[in-house]
Amino acid sequence: MALAGPRRARATSLAPVRFGLTPVFLESDLALLRALSSHMAAALGTPVELVKRRTYQEVVTLLLTGQLDAAWICGFPYVRHADRLSVLAVPVHRGRPLYQSYLIADPSLRARSLADLRGRSHAFSDPDSNSGCLTTRWLLAGQDLSPATFFGTTFFAYGHRNVVRAVSSGLAESGSVDGYVWETMAETEPGLTSTTDVVARSAWQGFPPVCCLTASRQGAAARGIEATLLGMAASPAGTEILRALRLDGFMPERPILYDGIRAMSQDLESRA
Amino acid sequence: MRRAGPRRLRVQLDPRHWPLLLTVPLTVAALVAGVATVTGQAVLARMEADQGRHLAALGAAFLDGLATAAQPAAVRADVWEAFDALDRASGQYEALRPTLSVEVLPDGSVLASSSPRVLRTGAALPRSLSDPADQAIASGSPAIDERAGRAVVARVLLEGGVPVGRLVAEADIGALLAERDAVVRALVLANIGIAALFAAAGALLVRRILLPTERLRHRLLEAAQGRRPEPLDAQAGSGPEHLALVNAWNGAVAAIAERDLMAGRLAREEGRAQLGRLTAAMAHEVNNPLGGLMTAVDTLSEYGDRRDIREEAVGLLRRGLDDIRKVVRAGLSSWKTGPGEAPLAAQDFEDLRLLIRHEVSRRGLTLDWRNDLPDGVRVDRTLARQIALNLLLNAAAASPPQGVLGFRAQGLSQGGAVIEVSDVGTGLPAEAESLLADPDGPPPSGGGLGLWTAARLARSQGGRITREPTPRGTRLVAELPVPSHAKEVAHAS
Repeated sequence: MALAGPRRARATSLAPVRFGLTPVFLESDLALLRALSSHMAAALGTPVELVKRRTYQEVVTLLLTGQLDAAWICGFPYVRHADRLSVLAVPVHRGRPLYQSYLIADPSLRARSLADLRGRSHAFSDPDSNSGCLTTRWLLAGQDLSPATFFGTTFFAYGHRNVVRAVSSGLAESGSVDGYVWETMAETEPGLTSTTDVVARSAWQGFPPVCCLTASRQGAAARGIEATLLGMAASPAGTEILRALRLDGFMPERPILYDGIRAMSQDLESRA
Repeated sequence: MRRAGPRRLRVQLDPRHWPLLLTVPLTVAALVAGVATVTGQAVLARMEADQGRHLAALGAAFLDGLATAAQPAAVRADVWEAFDALDRASGQYEALRPTLSVEVLPDGSVLASSSPRVLRTGAALPRSLSDPADQAIASGSPAIDERAGRAVVARVLLEGGVPVGRLVAEADIGALLAERDAVVRALVLANIGIAALFAAAGALLVRRILLPTERLRHRLLEAAQGRRPEPLDAQAGSGPEHLALVNAWNGAVAAIAERDLMAGRLAREEGRAQLGRLTAAMAHEVNNPLGGLMTAVDTLSEYGDRRDIREEAVGLLRRGLDDIRKVVRAGLSSWKTGPGEAPLAAQDFEDLRLLIRHEVSRRGLTLDWRNDLPDGVRVDRTLARQIALNLLLNAAAASPPQGVLGFRAQGLSQGGAVIEVSDVGTGLPAEAESLLADPDGPPPSGGGLGLWTAARLARSQGGRITREPTPRGTRLVAELPVPSHAKEVAHAS
């Protein structure tokens, strides 16, 4: 999928900036994507092509292979490919660059902890999602359990919003979901979240970052994107987009922000 | 008497006895309703077929769209992808109104349904869906359950010719059935309205057509009740048939009027003839003693000084004058009162005896007279005397010389009078007897006016004259009942 801003006609002679997106936010809002594309194109002075794929893996692969100038990915893929990726900006949510993973369940289960979900069907967001998979896997691994042995059935919905839809509709009895996405949906689509219960919240973890190939970190596109995101809160159009995203803005990376995710990843790898 | 009510009711309920004003509109309404029912059935059959085709087309479109997204999910047994496709499709086909869509794996288990709380992943497809789904796949058209208001459409998902699953969808066809019901209701109401409209129009038309006939019926009823028949306006007819009827009626009215006119004239002539006969009889009765009186006067004038002769002459004068007084009194009794002014008494018939005495003696008849009539019989004395006088004069004329003329008068147990007059003549001619049976018919052309007049007078009083069997001659009996108005007066008094 590719979305271009209104300045596309003026900038057709320039090579477009390709920006990858994953369901770390509500990327299903096409109006928001169009506004984001327009804002970036205006700030960069080049056409911006927003690239979406069904899985995190596809987007990360595009990024690693240089087919994207930057991408908004999850912290888990970032720590796995930290040797090749650099963080350009980190979203700030409610004053902090942090978010949580939520375990949600059908309210009729009256579940109060992960243990109450034993034998239930479970919806994961994506195999490469921190909040939508890694955190729950890590919690189970701590008890020498795996999703296959703990849950009745599992499936991937490939999107945090889809996980909420799956649990809300009854397709899955429980699910692992990005807390930021769930909280945002509670404002924008309360009909879906109101039919789910938050059973457990994880520790605070680094918010999904916007990354680029380290090799391209000093390139014009990467620097332009970095500057655009970090300055987004300064412009009315950017503020409007941030308001729609329920974000305060973007900030530069802090060194220890993704240590928690890295630790869970390494722990799971060591158990494998 | 107990059976008269139900029988009358049965007759009234028999359509063959209903008036045209009712049967024609009902027939029109029934015909219209019949035609409307047939056309309505055709409309409904066509509508049902159209709805079936429409539903099949909608179902096929729904499955076409869904299969594109659902088939890869079936191949990969991807629960979310299957659900997402089913869930999105459910909201995009409002025309079909799918209530439940299911993607089923080849082993019969549910991969995903649009309502996971109703039909969860991994469950077996229930028979309530699998059976109609099998039927829909076999027939290639929706399996419709009108009682439940639903239709099931289904399709097998093929990948390279290999079945990888099937799509089953249940649609709510309540709106289609409601639409059909609404059409049925509209048809029924429209048909009732049209039938009622045609029935009303038929009733008005028939009323208009039958108006001349209705007028004729009224005139006939009036005539049957004894009123004078009145002609109808020939221009009021609405067709040649009615015109012929009106003309026939007017002809009959004219004929009746002419007959009444003639009857009146004949009655007047008969009255005058009777008056002449009576006058002659009275003149004869007066003249008979008059000769003796004149002789007595002559004798008195010539031998009045002789006591014995004088006394004999005076006695003769007294007897003669007494006879004349009786005759005059009888005449006065007969004519001094009009019809209906006084009840009948035995003396009224005694006067008749005097009036016919001349005719009896002229023919040398023997009068067998028996008058047992009580006084105060509430029968018109004038008309009763005229009836009796006509019968007596007729019998006298029919009697052979030296014959016996019989007269009996007596009262009826329930009031009224019976007069019996007999003769020993040759018997009553057939034409004269027919006058008794039909006194309202035309007067006889040759003689018998007295009997015709008597019969008409008796009928006018509610009575009749009949011929009673007798070994010789004729015996006529006139029964004169008390008229109803006289009974009412008697009861009132």
